[in-house]
Amino acid sequence: MNRIRKLQGPALILALLALLWIIVILVLLVLKPSVFSLATVTTILQFSTILALVALGQAIVIMAGGAGIDLSVGGIVSLSAISGMLALKLGLPAFLLPPACILAGAVLGAFNGVLVTKLSILPLIATLGTFFVYSGLALALTGGAAQSGVPSWLLIWGRGVFSGIPVPFLTIAIPVFAIAGIVLMWTAWGRWIYAMGFNERSARLVGIPVDRARLILYSLSGVLSGAAALISLAWLGSGRPNIGQNLELESLTAAMLGGIAILGGRGGVGGVFAAVMLLVTLKTGLLQLNVNTVWQVGIVGALLVFVLLADRLSQNWR
Amino acid sequence: MRQLRNGVFSLNGREWSLLVACVLAIIVFSVASPYYATSGNAGTVLRNSIELLLVGLGMMLLLAMGGIDVSVGVVMGLAAIGVGRALGAGVDPVLTAFVGPLTGALLGLLTAAVIVLGRIPAIVGTLGLLGVYRTAIFVLLGGQWLSGLPTGLTLLLGTTILGLPVAAWVIAFAYLAVWVALRRTPFGLHLLAIGNSEEKARLSGIPVVKVRFATFIVSGALTGLAATFYVANYRNVEMTVGSTLALDAIAAVVLGGTSILGGKCSLVGTVLGVLLLRILQNGLLLTGVPSLWQPVVTGGLLIGVLGFEVLSNRLSLSQLGWASK
Amino acid sequence: MLKHIRKALAISALFLAVSTAAFAQDKPKVAFVPQLIGIPYFNAMEAGGNRAAKELGVDFIYSGPVDTNPVDQLQIVQNLIDQGVNAISVSVLDASSIAPVVEAAKAKGIKLFTSDSDAPDSGRAVYVAQATDEGLGSTIIDELVKRVGEDAKIGIVSGEATASNLNAWIGFMQKQAAAKYPKLKLLEPQYAGGTAERAAQISGDLMAANPDIKAIIAVASTTCPGVAQAIETAGKIGSVIGAGYCSPNTARSYLKSGAFGFTVLWDPAQLGYLTVWAGKQLIDGKAFEAENKVPGFDNPVTYDAATGILLLGPPAVFTAENVDKFDF
Repeated sequence: MNRIRKLQGPALILALLALLWIIVILVLLVLKPSVFSLATVTTILQFSTILALVALGQAIVIMAGGAGIDLSVGGIVSLSAISGMLALKLGLPAFLLPPACILAGAVLGAFNGVLVTKLSILPLIATLGTFFVYSGLALALTGGAAQSGVPSWLLIWGRGVFSGIPVPFLTIAIPVFAIAGIVLMWTAWGRWIYAMGFNERSARLVGIPVDRARLILYSLSGVLSGAAALISLAWLGSGRPNIGQNLELESLTAAMLGGIAILGGRGGVGGVFAAVMLLVTLKTGLLQLNVNTVWQVGIVGALLVFVLLADRLSQNWR
Repeated sequence: MRQLRNGVFSLNGREWSLLVACVLAIIVFSVASPYYATSGNAGTVLRNSIELLLVGLGMMLLLAMGGIDVSVGVVMGLAAIGVGRALGAGVDPVLTAFVGPLTGALLGLLTAAVIVLGRIPAIVGTLGLLGVYRTAIFVLLGGQWLSGLPTGLTLLLGTTILGLPVAAWVIAFAYLAVWVALRRTPFGLHLLAIGNSEEKARLSGIPVVKVRFATFIVSGALTGLAATFYVANYRNVEMTVGSTLALDAIAAVVLGGTSILGGKCSLVGTVLGVLLLRILQNGLLLTGVPSLWQPVVTGGLLIGVLGFEVLSNRLSLSQLGWASK
Repeated sequence: MLKHIRKALAISALFLAVSTAAFAQDKPKVAFVPQLIGIPYFNAMEAGGNRAAKELGVDFIYSGPVDTNPVDQLQIVQNLIDQGVNAISVSVLDASSIAPVVEAAKAKGIKLFTSDSDAPDSGRAVYVAQATDEGLGSTIIDELVKRVGEDAKIGIVSGEATASNLNAWIGFMQKQAAAKYPKLKLLEPQYAGGTAERAAQISGDLMAANPDIKAIIAVASTTCPGVAQAIETAGKIGSVIGAGYCSPNTARSYLKSGAFGFTVLWDPAQLGYLTVWAGKQLIDGKAFEAENKVPGFDNPVTYDAATGILLLGPPAVFTAENVDKFDF
């Protein structure tokens, strides 16, 4: 017990998430052992890929403080996917589709960054505005129609499975999380981000280029959303104007659940990854047990409140 | 505090710009569409603004206190279920009208208990509650919408007193009550002080917990009141009720000049923000712009107004700088 | 400590044994995945499916997303596939994105078919149709012309702009109007998302923008209350009539007040029944005949082998006169 008490912040959250995850698995194991197959693992990873990428972007933006938040991530995913497909229709060579999606994400994210850093609009409001604009544009430009015509070689990548692991997860999600983890833990850049989030004024005083760093982080969040858009194209085989629906709330939930402090300066990518896994495993488990889906939203909401309360209590202990 | 004393009968910069924007929009739309400037259409716009005006008022108080509530849409939904059930069961319409605010206030109390006592950041806490309340809506409705409810509450919209519909009186009263509470009672001072700095407010002996509880309850009650009007208007409660309300309300209130950092709010601005949004949505459709563009306009307006203000402030500051040199 | 663990293990082993026994039933499983749960229409389909399951001796699973989000729908279908449900029917939200699960189902030998909303080129086993999209689109236009004449202006208010079945119906409405009634003027469709509030707002604006409008069509069942309410509020009962694809229970009071002239729908419970029946046929490996006798159905159900469509029958038209005979 003493050791648990000594756990704090991210470590406590990570332990808590792991515990919850194990509980979910155990309950499933007891109630429905047939679930445990490679196919289930593939399914879980397949449906976590997009959320994982978007949640990572959300997490780094929040971590860097300055009331950082990105409500427009879902809009960026939708609009990047749509602009990629529209560009294809306008004659863009098919092999340029992946960079086009990611570039679109970067531009949209950078626009958020400009609003936040150059115009000093509060992130919640700036990205609320771009949320309306981006998701609205994706629908208005297409009239709601799905955009077909994804090149078939992209589908091979998007739907491929390598020894039980979906290829997009293997080739994008894992490397991205590994790089993000390394950068945050062991590089000056990572320390800058924590420093900015922890205390912006002193970060500025020691000469960290806070505004430039923040602009880059918003762009990076956009890039990750663009990558998520690309994965959705390669997996579904069509560009959907509302593919990013609800991702802003889901990614926020995952980031918060993963122990990212809403005020910044605290948290790590491991927690975010664990939170995404927990959320998707939980959903999968409930579906496998044929629990009515109306309970999903409630359980996830209650879980969020519970984890935050636990985090708060752990701070009181100290 | 000066913000507090002025800004009632004299408009500040943002409020002026919004007023000008509203007037300009009305002029442009009147020229563009022969059907725009009719009393019928004006009624439509006002009627469509009722819920957002009330929910926005509550949201304004929360933002001014440095709080936020992203679950107001589903709170309205739950309150609407309460009103609808009561109406369907044949309860007296006058009593039914109070079911909404009461349910809303109770949910506000619950929200406050989680946020204030648990000391969770409001945005995350209400995000969690949003999920919980949504499930509650599903379970309560169980796939059967409340449809074709009795017309008992319609008198709220149909009856006029001194030439104005009851709804207008209720909204005016709500705004007046909030104005009095903000400007003439310690509650207002305390609320804005907490918005400025919760720590300092606590140190100076302000009953922070009590004030925060009260604000969440008032916001809940206002949202519940909106639910009463929702049922009166549509006589139908479906499962998706209020799903876009929270973000719309935040956008309208911020457009009106209330800062999400707290400590500053504007009643006139909130009204103008809501009206401008509704005027644009209505006018664009009347002039032939497809409804799918409406969110783009909402977002563009938000970014445009706030960005413009920053830029123009900067410009005037730099001009001052030149002058002093 | 060790004792506790041993105890826990014993209890969980017991659980395991009991639950495996409970799950080891031989009944084949048929699932239906609606576009959205919590709306009366799909609830009625669920009820029909349950009835069929009891009568035909199968297990029926009903599970769908809480938002009209195609990825959530895919996740539900994928999990049903992983569970090894024998036949899965889907009311497709978006025809273009269903392909991954169709492949996954084929790989596991699971019968995946569509019901209520189709994905024609996906390789699904069969489509259980309430009526053809064309029939639905043209019926509503024909019925409207009967009431407002050929020389009229008609507005369209739909739900989600991304719903492929609703868009198909709108397409056939426009086609029918262009082919048969050249004087009829269909306005551009407007999209209200899922809320009655937005539908009312948009309908009110449409009536203001077009004072000579004669009718408004509510395409999604979620938009019916809003459209009707807007007509009542604007005091245009009699001069503008509402119409749409809504269930009698949702539309009853509007039909009686005159805000709605009629609604076009089929019996969703029957459709649910037929869906489960079709699933059972597929599991049993029985081919569909050109005309099939389904228990509880008065008329034989037709099957078109070329398109792979099993047809419930022509849609019914509900009006103020006959609406009280129905309860769904």
